[in-house]
Amino acid sequence: MIRRTIPAQVDRLADCCAFVREGAAGAGLDPQEMDKLDLVMEELFVNVARYAYTPGEGDVDVAYSVEAPGRLLVELADSGRAFNPLASDPPDFSRGLADRPIGGLGIYLVKTMADSIRYEREGCLNRISFVFSAPVNSGAVNPGQNSGG
Amino acid sequence: MEIQCTKLEKAVLVKVSGRMDAENAKQFQQTCEEWIARGATHLLVELSDLQYISSMGLSCILAVAKAMQNKSGSEILCGLKGLPRQVFEMTRLIGLFQVFDTPEAALATLP
Repeated sequence: MIRRTIPAQVDRLADCCAFVREGAAGAGLDPQEMDKLDLVMEELFVNVARYAYTPGEGDVDVAYSVEAPGRLLVELADSGRAFNPLASDPPDFSRGLADRPIGGLGIYLVKTMADSIRYEREGCLNRISFVFSAPVNSGAVNPGQNSGG
Repeated sequence: MEIQCTKLEKAVLVKVSGRMDAENAKQFQQTCEEWIARGATHLLVELSDLQYISSMGLSCILAVAKAMQNKSGSEILCGLKGLPRQVFEMTRLIGLFQVFDTPEAALATLP
């Protein structure tokens, strides 16, 4: 996998998205799908930046590998407090405007847009991995980035 | 993200362009709250040039809608399309708002 360590700060979100977009380009993903990938990355990265660490401290290790044309495996790992965001309850869609909670939609969006998402606690690490699958922009696959490991 | 506000006779038109994310979504909420504090009753939020919105953007739009409801006003969405529309549909937020294609269509419904 290709890895990068990024400070767990909301103002580094653009760096995180740009790094994973390199992988998405290597997988030949249609550029129109990049915003969806950004959305998944934002929700997960900001979650770590806001809740895993004392604000301003800690890093997120981001890694990707091109599994196949149109399939990108992404991992985020942090050494913050143990927390499985995937265990949160789904939003209650029956509630009207006055009773609808302001938050809680990010992880729901992640689960909707990402495939095979899983959380593991490994020693002192929180590790989330997912597969992002999308149509291939024909002719754009770069074999040079199609490396696992 | 760019925000342009225009005071109209019946409402304030708030045009949001670009990307509304965790870094900048609060700017939208603050802008709307300033208009609410100045007595605006209806906010027409025009999103036809919005390319991207994350959950933080949704939260801010929802917070403004609640604030408008508390003032017996409304936050109306116009021009929702592309990924932002998909996100509003996935989260079923779209059912909580009045949604119009254009600000003109929305204005025609206001008293």
